[in-house]
Amino acid sequence: MKKKLLLLLVAVVACATVVSAQGRRGLRINEVMVQNDSNFVDDYGCHSAWVELFNSTFAPLEISSVYITNDKNNPKKYPVPLGDVNTEIPSRQHIIFWADGQPARGTFHMNFELIPGQDNWIGVYDADGLTLIDEVTIPASLLPNTTYARKADGEGEGAEAWEVRDGNGDKYVTPSSNNIIKDTNSKVEMFSEQDENGFAMTIMAMGIVFSALLLLCICFYIISKIGERVSKHNKAKSHGAKLRELAKEERPEHDSGEEIAAIAMALHEHLDTHDQENTILTINKVKRAYSPWSSKIYGLREVPRR
Amino acid sequence: MQFSDFLLSNLEQFWHLTGFYNATWEHFVMLAVGLFFIWLAIKKDFEPMLLVPIGFGMLIGNIPFNATAGLEIGIYEEGSVLNILYNGVSAGWYPPLIFLGIGAMTDFSALIANPKLMLIGAAAQFGIFGAYMVALLLGFAPDQAGAIAIIGGADGPTAIFLSSKLAPNLMGAIAVSAYSYMALVPVIQPPLMRLFTTKKERLIKMRPARAVSQNEKIIFPIVGLLLTCFVVPSGLPLLGMLFFGNLLRECGVCNRLAKTASNALTDIVTILLGMTVGASTQASEFLTAQTIGIFALGFMAFIIASSSGVLFVKLFNLVLPANKKINPLIGNAGVSAVPMSARISNNLGLEYDPSNYLLMHAMGPNVAGVIGSAVAAGVLLGFLA
Repeated sequence: MKKKLLLLLVAVVACATVVSAQGRRGLRINEVMVQNDSNFVDDYGCHSAWVELFNSTFAPLEISSVYITNDKNNPKKYPVPLGDVNTEIPSRQHIIFWADGQPARGTFHMNFELIPGQDNWIGVYDADGLTLIDEVTIPASLLPNTTYARKADGEGEGAEAWEVRDGNGDKYVTPSSNNIIKDTNSKVEMFSEQDENGFAMTIMAMGIVFSALLLLCICFYIISKIGERVSKHNKAKSHGAKLRELAKEERPEHDSGEEIAAIAMALHEHLDTHDQENTILTINKVKRAYSPWSSKIYGLREVPRR
Repeated sequence: MQFSDFLLSNLEQFWHLTGFYNATWEHFVMLAVGLFFIWLAIKKDFEPMLLVPIGFGMLIGNIPFNATAGLEIGIYEEGSVLNILYNGVSAGWYPPLIFLGIGAMTDFSALIANPKLMLIGAAAQFGIFGAYMVALLLGFAPDQAGAIAIIGGADGPTAIFLSSKLAPNLMGAIAVSAYSYMALVPVIQPPLMRLFTTKKERLIKMRPARAVSQNEKIIFPIVGLLLTCFVVPSGLPLLGMLFFGNLLRECGVCNRLAKTASNALTDIVTILLGMTVGASTQASEFLTAQTIGIFALGFMAFIIASSSGVLFVKLFNLVLPANKKINPLIGNAGVSAVPMSARISNNLGLEYDPSNYLLMHAMGPNVAGVIGSAVAAGVLLGFLA
C-alpha cells in the first residue's frame, strides 16, 4: 500500500514538474534595444537599453525566480525577484526589463547593461539556473534607437527568425506591444477572399467529418471482427472442440428476431404452462460498498441540544 | 427643499428605475416569445427540459430596467449574478459539461454493432455546410456564417460552444434558434421523411443488431477519442468530455460518477445553460434583422440536415446487399437531437408497419450525429478561429 502511495506521489510530482517546465519553456526573448537615445522611456524618465520578454503560451506565466543574464558563465546574474504581482505575464503578452545596471530601481531594472558596438548575448534561464529557456545574440551592427526583434511574436528559432527594426515602413519598434499588429482575423480574411461561396469549406469540412467517422467505422469493424474471433475461440476452448467444428454449429444467417421470439415463446409455454402467476417472493440482499465519501457519519451532525 | 419636494423627487427617481418606465415594445415582444416557449413546453410538451428554462430565462432577461443606473443586474453587466452564471455560456464551459452527461447517458451499442451507421451521422452534417454557403450569400462574414450554420447540427451545446468562440454577439440568437428547432423536430422531420421515401422503402426491416461485448463498449470511447481528436484536435473539449462520460458509464467501476454526470450534473448545467441562454436574449441585443436571418438560416440548415441523412441512406442502399438494406426512415436521426429524432424514426416506422421497431437502429446514426456535429464544430473552429 505504501509502495503504491509512494509511486502515486512520484507520478504527481513528475507531472507537476513537467507542467511547470512546459509553462516556463514558453517564455521568449522577443525584442531588444541596445542603445536607447531617444526611444522608450522608463518609469524614472530615463532612456536605457531594454529587453522585451514574451509569454508565447495561452496561459498566464509567472516568471519570478527565472534568471536573465548577458554572461554565459554566470547564468544566475539577474534573478527576477519574488513577490511582485507584475511578474506574471498574461497569455500572449509582453514584459519589459531595463538593462540599466540599476537593480535598486525595482523589479524590472536589471543589474547589467548592454554594450553598444559589440555582440550582446542575452539568455533566460529557468529557476534551476541550468535550463536555458531562450537565448539571442544581438549583432554589434545594431544602430541606436533600432531594435533586434522576432519577425513574429515568440515564434521561430535561430537568427532567421529575427530582424532589425528601425521604425520605417512596417519595421516599427514595438516595446511592450505585439511585433505584428493584427487588426483582422487572417483566417477569416482568407476565407472571405478565396472562398466567397463556401464550396471549398464545404468540401474540406465534409471530407474531414466523413474521414473521421469512416476511420472510426473501419476501426470498429476490425475490433468487432477480432472480438467475434476471440469469443468463438474461447467458446471452442470451453467446449473442447476445434474452431472449424464450432463454426458449423453456429446459427444460420437468416435467423431473424421473430424466429427467436417464437422459439422463446414456445419454450416458455412448454416449460411454464400455469395460468396463474406463481407467487414466489424473492428478496435480494442489497449490498453497498462502504465509502467514507458517501458516509452519513461525516455528512450529518447532531442537532445542538440546549 | 420642502418635504413634499423631497418625497416627489425620490419617488420620481424610483419611477425612473421601474420596468414600467423603461419598457419598450421590444421588451414586450420578447416577453411574449418567452411566454410562448413556456406554453409550448407545458401545454404541447415540446422539449420541456429546455424550453421551460429558456422561456423563463427570456422573462428574466427582458424585464426592463435602467441600464445606465449601474445596478449590476443585467446579464451583460460585469459582476452581476446573471453575468457570473452566463460565464459558462460566454466562456464555453457549460457545453462540454453537458457533453459529459450525454456521454454518460448514451449507450453506443447500436453504433458499435453496426459501424456503417456512423456515415449517416456524417452525411447529416451537410445541413451545416449548406447553411454556411447560404449565410455567406446573405452577406455574413465566414466566422459568423460558421457559427450560424452549426444550428444544422441540431446540437444546442455545440451551437453555443462554437458561437461563443466565432461570433459571441450572435450567440443568443443562435442558441435560441438551435434549441427551438430541436424542440420542433417532431414537426419538421416527418414531412421530409415522407417526402423523400417510398412506401416500399419505409417497410424495410433491418436485421437485429448483434450483441456487443463489454470490452467493445469500453474500447469505443478510448478509440473514439483518440481517432476523432487526432483528426480534429479543436473538437477536444466536446469530444473529450463526451467520450469521457461514456467511459465512466461503460467501465463499470465508476457507477457513482457516471450516475452523477448523467443525472445531477447534467440537470444542474441544463438549468443554468437554459436560463442564461434565455436571459441573454435581451431585446436590445436580440431583436434585430440579423436574428430573423439567423432563424431562417437555422430552419434551412435543419431541413438540409434531415433531408441529406435520408437521401444518403437511399444512396447507400444502392451499394448494400439486399439482406443488409437500411430503412431510410433512420436517416433523419443523423442530426444529433438525441433521442428525439431516433424516436421519430421509430414512430414513423411503426406507422407503416406495427412490427417494425427502428429505435435501436436509429440510435446508431443519432449518436454518430453527436460525434459528427462535434467534429464539424471542431473543423469550423480550426479553420475560422
